[in-house]
Amino acid sequence: MGLDIRIPLGLIFLLIGGLMSIYGLFTRNAADIYEKSMGINLNLTWGAIMFVFGLIMFLVGRRQKWQDDPVNPRPWEAKDRPHH
Amino acid sequence: MNLSTIDWLIMLVYFIFVLGIGFALKRYMRTSNDFFLAGRSIPAWVCGLAFISANLGAQEVIGMGASGAKYGIITSHFYWIGAIPAMIFVGIFMMPFYYGSKARSVPEYLRLRFDEKTRAVNAFSFAIMTVLSSGISMYAMALLIQTLGLLHGIVPDAYIFHVSVFVSAIIVLGYIFLGGLTSAIYNEVLQFFLIVAGFAPLVWIGLRNVGGWQGIKHTLPANMTHSWQGMAHASTNTLGVEWFGLAMGLGFVLSFGYWCTDFLVIQRAMAADSEVSARRVPLIAAIPKMFFPFLVILPGLIAVSVTSHMAGAGQGTGNQTKIVTVPGQTLSEADYAAAAAAHPGIKVPLDESHPHGIIPVKTDPLSGKAVLNADGTPVYNYDLAIPVMLLHFFPTGILGLGLTALLASFMSGMAGNVTAFNTVWTYDIYQAYINKKGTDDHYLWMGRMATIGGVALSIGAAYLVTNFNNIMDALQLVFSIVNAPLFATFLLGMFWKKTTGHAAFTGLISGTLAALIHHGLTLPADAVPGIHGGWITVLHHYPSDMAQNFWTAIFAFSTNLLVTIAISLVTKPRPEPELVGLVYSLTPKPVEGHLSWYQKPATLAVAVLAILIVLNLVFA
Repeated sequence: MGLDIRIPLGLIFLLIGGLMSIYGLFTRNAADIYEKSMGINLNLTWGAIMFVFGLIMFLVGRRQKWQDDPVNPRPWEAKDRPHH
Repeated sequence: MNLSTIDWLIMLVYFIFVLGIGFALKRYMRTSNDFFLAGRSIPAWVCGLAFISANLGAQEVIGMGASGAKYGIITSHFYWIGAIPAMIFVGIFMMPFYYGSKARSVPEYLRLRFDEKTRAVNAFSFAIMTVLSSGISMYAMALLIQTLGLLHGIVPDAYIFHVSVFVSAIIVLGYIFLGGLTSAIYNEVLQFFLIVAGFAPLVWIGLRNVGGWQGIKHTLPANMTHSWQGMAHASTNTLGVEWFGLAMGLGFVLSFGYWCTDFLVIQRAMAADSEVSARRVPLIAAIPKMFFPFLVILPGLIAVSVTSHMAGAGQGTGNQTKIVTVPGQTLSEADYAAAAAAHPGIKVPLDESHPHGIIPVKTDPLSGKAVLNADGTPVYNYDLAIPVMLLHFFPTGILGLGLTALLASFMSGMAGNVTAFNTVWTYDIYQAYINKKGTDDHYLWMGRMATIGGVALSIGAAYLVTNFNNIMDALQLVFSIVNAPLFATFLLGMFWKKTTGHAAFTGLISGTLAALIHHGLTLPADAVPGIHGGWITVLHHYPSDMAQNFWTAIFAFSTNLLVTIAISLVTKPRPEPELVGLVYSLTPKPVEGHLSWYQKPATLAVAVLAILIVLNLVFA
């Protein structure tokens, strides 16, 4: 289909990961928040991991640019399509 | 429950993306083929993730967490015995017929292979089942939102259930209406990654708190941390099933009946871009599926391992929740060590000495009082194992992510059913019996209408489902009656060319009847006749409702198998040329000459099997 799933997937992880990291950064000294997670700032660490994952997905998805164009016929509709 | 802005923001981002994908895909929905089959153009890995995500509905996350807390790691049989072998089988042996026959749905395959009436039975029973499943997902989600008090203070308490049902229905309706199957598949991929992202840190922090797997083994009775211990007899394991019932009922009949014939999952594989991709889909799905016990069952085990004297966690800001926790209900580690040492391998009764950890007591939603057993002991609400873990360990921020993951799992369960329903309705009921000569545009329009209808029926089903306290049991019951006989029909249809349409039809009907009669004649221990069985008369008592379900399935399957074979032998089979591409012995083997050895589906299947065996040995 015309939209590469890795683009929205990358974007949602960039956004959520980014939100969590920033929130974690601001609350890094708030011990009462992180008492639940045994003193570990899960927002900062896990948010950063998610951000990096999102970035990789987004960049990989962007590499295949033709998929953004609603060309006619679409690549899979072309008659001489190579058989897998 | 107090959620802060950041938690709501994360959930909002998710909902925007869910609908955004629908809008982005709208312009590609030109033909009914785009809408119902995603144009058969999706890469294998995307379909593979959607394949498990569609199944990762309410019964997985809530039911498996609950079973993990109740029965222990033995619950992983639902994955390792109850899914992986069937997923390998469907990928290697059955997918060439589904994909290669150009059928657009599983009921349509039945029409090509057998006849119109067999398709009709399958199409109608499947349509009803999807609507029920979707309704159960919706109901479970609304109940959870209500129990957790997620919308407490935003919506009047009396309306929380209704608002949750309708909001979730409208979101699912929105993105399927716009983007069809592609939209559902893409969202299922998002949901898959969000569920992993939300639950992985939960398991990590939970394991840290209870001292890792060794700590759990130390705290819990031995039969909760070994998946094969005590399986020789029904009374020595926590499930109340012996190994034969488990292997045949769950591992063969129910599991193959679901993974190999259920259009909900097969539809994901049929959207793949080539036959080789379609065969890889279930195999790719099997890899994460094998490890899902660590994401959904382990939190249940951790929840019962966390004891009140393990201080340090849960003392923070989360105590304003509405969940009632009862301190002092847990036994000390020493009690367990003593119990386990005195009776190695002996079942620890669930009610008295079973550890409860942070599992809350079940409360009556109307009165707010704790629900008590006949003997005055409180009833524990195991369905809350995973939600309570999220609240216990996740600080604000990542709590929003955890709740998003939970909501995502409910929505993927619902969406999977709705897309399967709209396809079966449009191609196998509407086009087959109501309007045969419509234009393609008309069927595309009908698909959108069927989406609305399916969601509306699900809402109705959600209000019907109130009689079951364990979602898993309800689904298993529906599956045993509808799905269990089905696999015999497909097995004979695909691998025995003499099977006839009359035989398949009669077999299917008698299999379903056998399931109903068996359910009506037997009763699990400590249940009253009624919805749990025994509504004709009670001839046999099973040690647990799970054993009853598995044996119902075994009876249904055997009846169907025998009846179909018997009638096939006395009716005239179809001429062989008509069955090319539909039956194993008459179909050319898939051409794999151009693939390197590591690209072949069989290689992937062997790798999956190897990991499966290792996992079973580690947790034996």
